Amino acid sequence: MSLNDPNHVASRAGLVDRLPRWLVPNMTGVHLAAVFIALLLLGLLLVPVAQVMIVAFQDPATGAATLQNFVDFFKTSLFRESFWNSFYVSAMSVVVATAIALPLAYITTRFHFSGSILIQSLGFIPLIMPPFVGAVAMQLIFGRNGTVNLLLRDWFGFDIPFMEGLNGVILVQSIHYFPFILINLSASLRNIDRSMEEAAQNLGSHGLRLFKRIVFPLAMPGYIAGAALVFIKVFDDLGTPLLLNVNNMLAPQAFLRISSIGISDPMGYVISVILVVFSVLSLWASFLFMRGKDYATVQKGGGGMAKRSLKRGEKIIAYGAVIFILMLVLSPHFGLLLLSFGTIWSYAPLPDGYTLQNYVTMWEGSKTFIMNTVLYAGIAATLDVIIGTAIAYIVLRTGIFGRKGLDYLATAALAVPGVVLGIGYLRTFHAIDVPFTDEPMASWWVIIALALMIRRLPYALRACMAALQQVSLALEEAAESLGATKRRSIQKIVIPLMTGGILAGFVTSFATAAVELSATIMLVNSNSDAPLSYGIYLFMQTPSGRGAGAALGIVAVIVVAIGTIASQFIIERDKKLKSSGDAH
Amino acid sequence: MKKILYSTIAMIAVSASGALADGKVTVITSFPDSMTGPLEAAFEAAHPEYDLEVLNKKTSAGVKYIQEIAGDNTADIFWASAPDAFEVLKGDALLADVTIKSEGIPDRIGAYPLNDPDGKYYGFAGAGYGIMWNERYLKANGLEPAKEWDDLAKPEYHGHVGMSAPSRSGTTHLTVETLLQGEGWDTGWAKWKRIAGNFSTVTERSFGVPDGVNTGNFGLGIVIDFFGFSSKASGFPVDFSYPTVTALVPANVAVVSNAPNEPGAVAFIEYLLTPEGQEVLLDPAIMRLPINPATYAKAPEGFPNPFEDSTIGATVEFDVAKSGARYNLVNSMFDLMITYRLDDLRSAVGAIQAAEAAHADSGNEEAKALIAEAWALIDANPINEAKSLDAEFAGIFTKKRKKATDEVGARQAEVEQEWDAMVVANYAQARELADKAAGM
Amino acid sequence: MKKAGITIENVHLAFGDTKVLEGVNLDIQPGEFFAFLGPSGSGKSTLLRAIAGFGPTPEGRILIGDRDVVGLDPWTRNVGMVFQSYALWPHMSVRDNVGFGLKERKVPSAQIRKKVDAALELVELAHLADRMPNQLSGGQQQRIALARTVVVEPDVLLLDEPLSNLDASLRVHMRRELLRLQRQLGLTTIFVTHDQEEANTTCDRMAVLDKGVIQQVGSPLELYDRPESLLVANFLGTANILEGKVEIKGGARRFVTKTGDLLPLPDDSVGEGGNIVLRPQNISISRTQASGSLPGKVQHSEFLGSQIRYLVSAGGTEIVVDQSHRAGHDWIETGADVHLVANTQSAVVL
Repeated sequence: MSLNDPNHVASRAGLVDRLPRWLVPNMTGVHLAAVFIALLLLGLLLVPVAQVMIVAFQDPATGAATLQNFVDFFKTSLFRESFWNSFYVSAMSVVVATAIALPLAYITTRFHFSGSILIQSLGFIPLIMPPFVGAVAMQLIFGRNGTVNLLLRDWFGFDIPFMEGLNGVILVQSIHYFPFILINLSASLRNIDRSMEEAAQNLGSHGLRLFKRIVFPLAMPGYIAGAALVFIKVFDDLGTPLLLNVNNMLAPQAFLRISSIGISDPMGYVISVILVVFSVLSLWASFLFMRGKDYATVQKGGGGMAKRSLKRGEKIIAYGAVIFILMLVLSPHFGLLLLSFGTIWSYAPLPDGYTLQNYVTMWEGSKTFIMNTVLYAGIAATLDVIIGTAIAYIVLRTGIFGRKGLDYLATAALAVPGVVLGIGYLRTFHAIDVPFTDEPMASWWVIIALALMIRRLPYALRACMAALQQVSLALEEAAESLGATKRRSIQKIVIPLMTGGILAGFVTSFATAAVELSATIMLVNSNSDAPLSYGIYLFMQTPSGRGAGAALGIVAVIVVAIGTIASQFIIERDKKLKSSGDAH
Repeated sequence: MKKILYSTIAMIAVSASGALADGKVTVITSFPDSMTGPLEAAFEAAHPEYDLEVLNKKTSAGVKYIQEIAGDNTADIFWASAPDAFEVLKGDALLADVTIKSEGIPDRIGAYPLNDPDGKYYGFAGAGYGIMWNERYLKANGLEPAKEWDDLAKPEYHGHVGMSAPSRSGTTHLTVETLLQGEGWDTGWAKWKRIAGNFSTVTERSFGVPDGVNTGNFGLGIVIDFFGFSSKASGFPVDFSYPTVTALVPANVAVVSNAPNEPGAVAFIEYLLTPEGQEVLLDPAIMRLPINPATYAKAPEGFPNPFEDSTIGATVEFDVAKSGARYNLVNSMFDLMITYRLDDLRSAVGAIQAAEAAHADSGNEEAKALIAEAWALIDANPINEAKSLDAEFAGIFTKKRKKATDEVGARQAEVEQEWDAMVVANYAQARELADKAAGM
Repeated sequence: MKKAGITIENVHLAFGDTKVLEGVNLDIQPGEFFAFLGPSGSGKSTLLRAIAGFGPTPEGRILIGDRDVVGLDPWTRNVGMVFQSYALWPHMSVRDNVGFGLKERKVPSAQIRKKVDAALELVELAHLADRMPNQLSGGQQQRIALARTVVVEPDVLLLDEPLSNLDASLRVHMRRELLRLQRQLGLTTIFVTHDQEEANTTCDRMAVLDKGVIQQVGSPLELYDRPESLLVANFLGTANILEGKVEIKGGARRFVTKTGDLLPLPDDSVGEGGNIVLRPQNISISRTQASGSLPGKVQHSEFLGSQIRYLVSAGGTEIVVDQSHRAGHDWIETGADVHLVANTQSAVVL
């Protein structure tokens, strides 16, 4: 019987009831859950980030409030340069990623193209390679004396500085992140109601004019959403510039300052503040842009643009473009594979010889890494879907005060770069000891799992929200009208119906947490606590370890690939289940 | 939790055997897994009652870490290459006084005392610095291996050299400081800048250099010897040599004060100094110079022997105190003059080299004068040696927390900005002059 | 505006093996308001879109005026089409939406402004010129879509189920508006719908399509009173169809139902088929027997406002009888035995 049942309340007559309402609010289980989650997010997200922000505004010697650190930051040319470089790299990555994604999106949505499966897989392949792992492989293929340049120099006498300085970062990031733009752009192009296009054709427009005046503006919101996401992720990424030795960008500077000068260095915090502020601004800008322009709901139907068949010459160009991009996209995977099976690869287009020894070495040395990864990512993903489901329910089904805030708070984690979260945790938890032991909390392995959990929460939350939105409120109400309490109806009706989405969210959370590096690298204290991503980083630090590191990288790729495929499969199956007779 | 589970089982197992020894020894080290691994395995095999817990941190991070947990210390051992890092900890009274028993270990390696005279830290292996190169790369670019530091400044190596920065790597710091002490402050810095003018890159971690040479990303690298040896032993087409101006410096190990497991820590250090322990250093993945002369009998062919070959490491007597006093300052100077302004430096030096080539035989005095001026601008330093040793000035670069006595006149950022401005202007001007000279 | 007729000659269209349009021939007069009527899947929208130039190219000829447009791109045809979803572009204001076609034709902007204003006046929505489409109601959107189309002065106007997304009450109002506008502009117009009431009340002539074939072409009255097939008869209004055969006895034609009931036929009736079509309003229902009446039993009655509709089992089938709900009439209860007298003046034998 629920707490709101009058009999129940009556039986609690006494002191509690005579106290004013606001002192002892009528708390149901859902209320308690909301409060608990709020505290969790506060302690694991807001407080560490706030700590970081505060330190940036403090004088390091006296602790007094000051803007001096920021002044110092902007007066220092290195930092100004890093700021500009981060901005430049992020923007250029968006540009290059668009250049890759746009033709692909256009080909799939505009034409009957039998290679569409190919393009869909293009959208998936880069995402399964953690970018920092890809960076190493890209160096081998596109570096100064990598495969491509050696061959170019031999055959044609020139080389292309693909990987010099910032270019390398831009190249690796664009190839890794263009799927975001491809997926969003394809979706918004596909969402364009065919009659939008036909109406324009009917009134005399076609070709490029049509694209410019009608198609592109309608696809813009989707594109902007994807582009903003790419921008933030590149801006905040630590692993790729680190492994490419590019230090004059914001994230690596923050990492280097904190790790070499210490957690008392104010500059690391100033950079963190800038990273966070910029991320939040980008997110906000993209939301602003999207608001009022959600064209999907204004158009009735969709159906996408009219497709036509490709003429012969166009077919050749289309296939050519797709295959070229495919090769580009596969190059890090290819390089990694070669490295993992290679003996020695030095100043040559290909390794000297091939062997399985690296895999053996990797296996012998990585059992701890793999077990840790399963543990951390497992905990992170489990917590993510639990909290995600709870928040989704609270936001969509209850009227609890501040529920929107819960949503925003959880989603805000998107704007916090991994490196900042890591620094925040170090700072916040290093003075606290783990209960019952002498270990400072900052070096406790659980912190790593919690950081992963927070970082992946926004995605899990979105998955859970989407899953819950598909469960009509009427289903719950039907259960309640037949006598089930709120809790039982959630348990027996809502959650089972959300299973597909929850499972998909779990799998994605797990797979991406398994290869996170930015926060991990700040928080890992000892090799026995290290997960996969850190393990790869460690392997790459020794001459004999590169092959094994690559082998471990392949393992990481496989983990993410399986996770992504499984998640897709679950969603598809779930869709089929729901599509029969579900229309309202 | 796996740790609690593990220690519970361990406790039960240990108590069942009757011995209730505290097994865990926590080691903070900057050495990579490839080195700590074999040593840990060997130690635990020899001392099954102990379990080594290795925490891997870069040298400066490790020092910071120990400073930070000092109030409630959980570390037993600090284990790193750079003796100056130990000096910093010693200065903070964070190293314990212990007595280590060992046999057959001399007092010095090369010209350098192995152990801290105050008994706070001990040497267990030696290392020197030198030049590593990729044979294929050199062949393809028509280059000869460089033998001396000065060679690396030659125009033919422009854009082919890699190095890490002293702020990122304790061993690189030692390399830099060695040259500064060996050649003198001004000459030393000048040399570094001219060599840096030939840099392809400054890597983030010391391993980035041998990695770059191994993969052929750049042709030559300034590295610590074991990187060269182990890379070669791993099969890469690389080689290594010591220049004449080098120091052989011990790699050290020390017990942290208030260590939770002092007996374990002492056992560890003592093990490192045993013949078996020393032999582990010859593992192809490690390749460090043992300090027990007898071990060299088991060394592979071609492995250098500092006890027999007096050319290695004798020329520079490394002053650890000096190094420690200006540790952070040197880091900053290198970063500001070289790391962060690499592009400017490179293009300026390149321009001067081009001008020199153009006027090699021209006899054009004016041009030569301009070139000399340009070099002078490159070589110019923002501070002289005396200032570098001025405790108050050097203190600006030290981040000591919450010491009320620390009144800094100028903040580090301010000073750094000053230097940066000077350096940028100088390099730009040098480039201009060189271009002008080349045009004549 | 010049009036152009539309001639469709022998148009065939198939998607793979499915024949979507078969042997379509039509002649639409200039200025005519013509309807394509039919159930879903009948091909009426496909035919309309073929005229506009959307979808695969059919065989045959489609002449607008005297220009064969088969195979021409849609943007060259100068036909105005209003889509079922109105297809107003959400990122452009009403003014920009309406002016779009003029801009494509490179009309100078001062002129565009004038024409747009005029078009908006025509649909009485000049005050909404600067709004965005998502601020408009369904009816307003439809009128803007219309304005957008007529402002470019097309040769013909094509309306693809323009009223189906509107509320019932609005639909009635809008179809009158459409008709008024069409008369005012004199544009040849094709109106596609599945609702026979819409077609009946607006068009001059209509074509009924089923499975891609034109069943009958004519005015609403013609199709209602003189359907040429059972399908048409059923589609327009309610039809009672009794099976049987035509007999001639003693010089008088009559229809004998399967159950043996006799229905007299007028002398001038034609048709030798096995079905007779009787409209509900032409059958009277009474408790008393009369000559030539059909006996039956009331199964069900529905109150339709102006009519009472009885479902009577008679003649071997269920017959729908509509009785005018006039003051003072007799309400027959369910289950009563009744007699039906058919006024066969307008009966059709098919």
